[in-house]
Amino acid sequence: MKTIKLISIALGIVLLSSCEGFLDVKPSNSAAAETSITNVNDAKVAINGLLRKMTSSDYYGRNFLMYGDAKGGDFAIRSQGRGLDALYTFNHSASSNSYSGFWSQIYHNILQANNLIKNIEKIEADGKGSVSLSEYKGQALTLRALMYFDLVRLYGKPYNMDKTSLGVPLVLEPLDATAQPTRATVEAVYTQILADLTAAEPILSKAVGTVAIKGYVNYYANKAIQARVYLTMDRFADALAAAEAVITSNKYTLYANDKWVGSWSLQFGTESILEFAVYPSEADLLTGSLGYYLLRQGKVTGAMGWFMASDYYLARMNQDATDVRKGIMDYDESSTTRFGACLKYAGVDLKGDKGTASAVNVKVIRLSEVYLIAAEAALRQPTPDMTKASNYLNAIRKRAPALLPSTAATVTLDMIIDEKSKELFAEGIRYFDMIRLNRDIEFNDEFISPAVQIPHRTKIINRTFYKTILPISQSEMDANPAIASQQNPGY
Amino acid sequence: MKKSILIVLSVLLVNIGWAQMRVTGTVTSSDDGSPVPYATILVKGVRGAGANTDLEGKYSLSNVPNDAILVISYIGYRTQEIPVNGRSVIDIVLSPDALNLDEVMVVAYGTSTKGTFTGAASVVKSDAIKDVPSLSFENAMNGKVAGMQITTVSGQAGSVSSIRVRGIGSMNASSDPLYVIDGVPVVSGNVTQMGIYTSNNVMSTINPADIESITVLKDAAASSLYGSRAANGVIVITTKRGKLGKTSVNFKASVGITPDFATDNFETATPEQQVEMYYENFWNAGVVYEGKTNEVASTNALAQLNKRFGKHGYVFTAPDHTVNSLTIGGDRAGKYFDWDAVLFRTAVYQSYDLSVSGATDNSNYYTSLSYTKDLGRSVMNEFDRITGRINLTQKVGKFVEFNTNVNIARSGKEGFNDTRATGNNYFLQSRNLLWPLYWPTDYLTGAPWTARYGSYAYNPVYYNEEWENWSNTLRLSVNESLTIKLLPELTFKTIFSYDNAQTKDHLYFSALHFSGSGVGGSVSEMTSSNVKTVSSSTLNYNKTFSKKHTVGALVGWEAESNNFDFQRASGTNLPTSALHTVSTAGKLDAAAYYSGNNMLSLLSRLEYNYDNKYYISGSYRRDGSSKLGPEARWGNFWSVAASWRIDKEEFMKSVDIISSMRLRGSYGVNGTLPTNNYGWRSLTTYTNKYMEQPGGGVSSIADPTLSWENNYTSNIALEFGLLKQRITGSVEYFNRDSKDLLQDVPISTVTGFFSTLKNVGEINNRGIEIELSGDIIKNDNLTWSAGLTASHVKSKVTKLYGGQDIIWYDPTGGDSRAKFIYREGESTLALYGREWAGVERETGKNLWYLNNDKTPSTTVNGRPATYNYQEASEKIIGDIHPKLFGGFNTNVEWKGLTLGLNFTYKLGGYTYDAAGRDINDDGYYWERIMSKDAYDNRWTPENKDAKYPMRIAIDLEDVNQRSTRHMHKADYLRLKTITLGYNIPKNIVKMAKISSARVYFNGSNLWTLAAYKVYDPEVNEYGTRGWELPIGKTYTFGVEFTF
Repeated sequence: MKTIKLISIALGIVLLSSCEGFLDVKPSNSAAAETSITNVNDAKVAINGLLRKMTSSDYYGRNFLMYGDAKGGDFAIRSQGRGLDALYTFNHSASSNSYSGFWSQIYHNILQANNLIKNIEKIEADGKGSVSLSEYKGQALTLRALMYFDLVRLYGKPYNMDKTSLGVPLVLEPLDATAQPTRATVEAVYTQILADLTAAEPILSKAVGTVAIKGYVNYYANKAIQARVYLTMDRFADALAAAEAVITSNKYTLYANDKWVGSWSLQFGTESILEFAVYPSEADLLTGSLGYYLLRQGKVTGAMGWFMASDYYLARMNQDATDVRKGIMDYDESSTTRFGACLKYAGVDLKGDKGTASAVNVKVIRLSEVYLIAAEAALRQPTPDMTKASNYLNAIRKRAPALLPSTAATVTLDMIIDEKSKELFAEGIRYFDMIRLNRDIEFNDEFISPAVQIPHRTKIINRTFYKTILPISQSEMDANPAIASQQNPGY
Repeated sequence: MKKSILIVLSVLLVNIGWAQMRVTGTVTSSDDGSPVPYATILVKGVRGAGANTDLEGKYSLSNVPNDAILVISYIGYRTQEIPVNGRSVIDIVLSPDALNLDEVMVVAYGTSTKGTFTGAASVVKSDAIKDVPSLSFENAMNGKVAGMQITTVSGQAGSVSSIRVRGIGSMNASSDPLYVIDGVPVVSGNVTQMGIYTSNNVMSTINPADIESITVLKDAAASSLYGSRAANGVIVITTKRGKLGKTSVNFKASVGITPDFATDNFETATPEQQVEMYYENFWNAGVVYEGKTNEVASTNALAQLNKRFGKHGYVFTAPDHTVNSLTIGGDRAGKYFDWDAVLFRTAVYQSYDLSVSGATDNSNYYTSLSYTKDLGRSVMNEFDRITGRINLTQKVGKFVEFNTNVNIARSGKEGFNDTRATGNNYFLQSRNLLWPLYWPTDYLTGAPWTARYGSYAYNPVYYNEEWENWSNTLRLSVNESLTIKLLPELTFKTIFSYDNAQTKDHLYFSALHFSGSGVGGSVSEMTSSNVKTVSSSTLNYNKTFSKKHTVGALVGWEAESNNFDFQRASGTNLPTSALHTVSTAGKLDAAAYYSGNNMLSLLSRLEYNYDNKYYISGSYRRDGSSKLGPEARWGNFWSVAASWRIDKEEFMKSVDIISSMRLRGSYGVNGTLPTNNYGWRSLTTYTNKYMEQPGGGVSSIADPTLSWENNYTSNIALEFGLLKQRITGSVEYFNRDSKDLLQDVPISTVTGFFSTLKNVGEINNRGIEIELSGDIIKNDNLTWSAGLTASHVKSKVTKLYGGQDIIWYDPTGGDSRAKFIYREGESTLALYGREWAGVERETGKNLWYLNNDKTPSTTVNGRPATYNYQEASEKIIGDIHPKLFGGFNTNVEWKGLTLGLNFTYKLGGYTYDAAGRDINDDGYYWERIMSKDAYDNRWTPENKDAKYPMRIAIDLEDVNQRSTRHMHKADYLRLKTITLGYNIPKNIVKMAKISSARVYFNGSNLWTLAAYKVYDPEVNEYGTRGWELPIGKTYTFGVEFTF
């Protein structure tokens, strides 16, 4: 009797749990992808996720900004092998140092934007749209435009050099695993960028300064990106108009000279039009962060002295010994008198903008850049406005108080570009300007000690050098044979 | 002398006086001297004459003819025949017989005997592993089972071993076998979340001394009853039970010391040679590369030396501007710091086991308690463990039996980084970074040296105090079973098992430590809990009809649930270095989640044999797993097998030399489930917080029809016994086709992802296994036996997604240390890289075989070659798999003395040296220490026939290429263990009221013969050697008492 009871208990343990129920085990920390965006709150979570992914180390978190400077002649390295030095030495091939992280991370982010846009459109089609919902769509569209703009400059020839050449695959919807997309032309990519930006413009919020919007994309960020894009396309009048839409709104203000150095210890300063937040224990790269990459070797434990300023940049800064922007520079490992280490991402007190030298926000577009875009656009538009150009330049140039302000008569493109170098050092701008303007880039190779053989490029390059754009990686070509015949020439 | 004459006389008298006599005596086991109850004593040729031993192993026979022969037998022991020769007291020592055909072996869901089991299985008994100083049983099994390869990645105490049964069966899912203890699958593998800092083998929570036997199930017939998890073999562990008889108390203590590594491992050049190479490096760069004068180049080289080591009290000069006049001066001249002395120590291993066991007709118990402490070779590494076990069986009435096995273990481990990390891997530091010219103190002030040294190493004397890590595991396994004999031939058994391994990890870095400095010190506490709950019930039917037809049938079902629960709390910005707790931290962070998978199964087996001559069997199992989508989750696994006892045929009766012979064969299907619990689901994860708000994103593209991997195994074997089983052995051939292998198929990253999981690949493993053992000499006093295992496994990839090659890297250490390729028709461990052509005699430059159509810059051995490695193409450069591997052992027993030697060997194949790029560099890592090998074999104008190129500090990257330069022959022979034991004679131990006592010595890894001598040839499962701590030579002394 007892035995029968025991048997039935043992049997019961399993029979109680119905088969398929027992076999449906769901994860506790993830949700089904198909049903995860159904309302405005889900959209906000998705935008957060996308913005966080923008600060991946492969993108704005570090490598993209390093790319824009290490290759531009304003950076130098002291020794090879510390990290990312292949950017500087142009040691790229399809199978090694292809930096395919740019490609894969950005497309991963584009998928997030596409997924969000598609789901919002689905909700809207069900008649459940709202203002805030379309605002998230506007942010996703703007970020998608920014990402394609970055991708096309990494992998495609400059727009003003050969816009019929290959850009990058244009993907506007989530793909399934079997997709093998091929590259669209540079021109087609730019067309899409502008389409996204203009579609997003009217649905974005114009609010500035409220906590809710800081760290996110608003109308002015969209406009500032438009200014950058138009400038790259040599559409100067459009660039000027977009830049002025930001400037004349008066929603952002330039830092006064005595506040400039301190601005690097603040998040969401008055110049920040688009800033990606990096919080401790979020996208904080710790000793691998931008801040650490630019510190002098041994300045703090973990600082390896990856990159520092080149002699050419230092010479430019030395035009005015009282330039306030020298305040953000620290001496480097070569000598206590060579101020080549940059503290923009660590803060002068090594406390960044939140108390650490690593979890520091990335300033994607600052008002200073918009002024300099406006200056260049005014100067180069079909009917130049030299006064405007000079005024916009001087607003920034006054940070070197000992230098004479420009005038409508003296203002030149070189002055504006030099000013951009001084102002936006280590902000990922210089290289793209040099390429866009078809200028020579000279590398300060003599600074490397002990001497190193750099067989991958010459001391001076320009945009005809095939390695000024990256190769499609071998792994992408292996997985996507359709794109293999579209490799960038030379690789 | 007088006494013996008396005995002889009395025997003679007895002979004369009585033709029939009474014989008494005790039967004991040679194992531990314990009495053997219920052994059978028969008088040969006399019907009905015989007796059984009682609980104390005593027997008594009357009316024995004085020329009779006694036949003593007991299951699991070698049957002995002993002539009475008129003696009235005959004590008999039985020795266990591993090759007895009637030996019971534990198999899937039941037991079988060696002579009747139709599948391929090998048994390792407790004897074979008991003296090896091992935290976990795996290591002690090395070389003992044909077809099984056991490797240990690290020599750290408590690290995880890897077992491969019959080759490699998977690319993406696990190639690890399933572990079953006392009838139920258990948690296995690494349980710590510490990543690079340490690994923690959950099998270390099983005290090897509690293990009675280990059966390795190798073919489908043996393992298919475990269905979707059985493809990589099954390790069935059975723990000890009491033996009928009076209570036996067993105490065992051992102490082992490891004063040194088992072999040389990347031994460094002398300090003077290091300095010479450093100078040469820069001098060559100046003179040869930059075309500078000797003076300028020498000045530069000296400047480098002085800059690096000047602050440690050394001054370098070279008056004639060449290396010939290089001298080391300064305050510390002639004195060097011995880093090995502060990084390593003599390891001490101690282990104490106490067990109490016994049995009566109705109950059976085994309880044990053990404590083990292992202080590793590295000063940062130690392991300790307490285990307790109760195995209890109680009969209730005639038909019901309850069984309870409880194991509780608590282990603690502290380890260090085993990867290629410059900061805190002590082995790497000792061989590659810590120059003897670096000192732990500042020579001017005497203060601790806290800055990073030029080679990126940190001063371990100082930093050892600034961090700590430990991983504690508490494991509770409870296994309850109930067996009911419903009919004499029908048994019902139900098992419920709860297995919980809970690991708590602790990682602390002070604010002074380089890993904690950025955040003001950090501390993390992580708790991970693995719970496996299994319930299974089986009905077993066994009956013999008409004396010749025996039928066995088994049906049952099983439900299994696996839960993993993780919690982490971490804090940064610590208030004081005295408190290492999260709750005091200025900033807190936490994470917690759980995951799991469930499985439901039906199982059945049918067996039939005719006259114990012809056997057939079949098994079928149906599994449903939550790891797969609803359309794909149920699968069928089955096997068929047959065997034929040839020796029972009439025609074999005349062949005297062959005492047993059996042919068996099997075919079947079993599987492997994906590793990932949710691999079939496309997921959105929420790991992307932004500005302290939740953030999420699509994290995978999944295939909802994802399925398990299928394994089709056929097996054929011939087993034989010669000369009355004095020599036994088996030859086995297997062919294992693993299909529908899960492959992370690379997809265009434009989709947003790198890969998606699909069932596409195919691998074939086939091979031959030989097991042979026998007694070379066997008489009353002396037994000399020997055994051999040999395996040859051919493991190759037969199909890949779209026929496309897959490049992959050894995952060990996370630094992609060796490059492999999966290519159709090639080995599953095919090394991929460039082909190094050595050094150009006149220039000392690296040469590479082109292996493509590019224009060569030179030729080597008539083949097109280049100086620029980038010109050369990669190809398959070697195969890790050995041609033959296994072990052999020999055992001598003489009057209570036993000497056992156990060798392991590997012939053929390659190992890949992932540390070679660091210790044998051409001038890229010029701030590091170089090996003696590099010093002796580098190119210099005096040594033009050099193996390695000229050292030149222009960041040459040749050495960093994965190439044949780092590939070396894998052959080795190792005396894995040597054991010398002595059973103290009964008459001595009896005086101390002890029933038996034994002392022993065990030596592990004492002797090694290797084809390549720069590092230990026992490498990891990928055949690579990196910066893991190597294993050591261990000398263990032990005593064992039974009361």
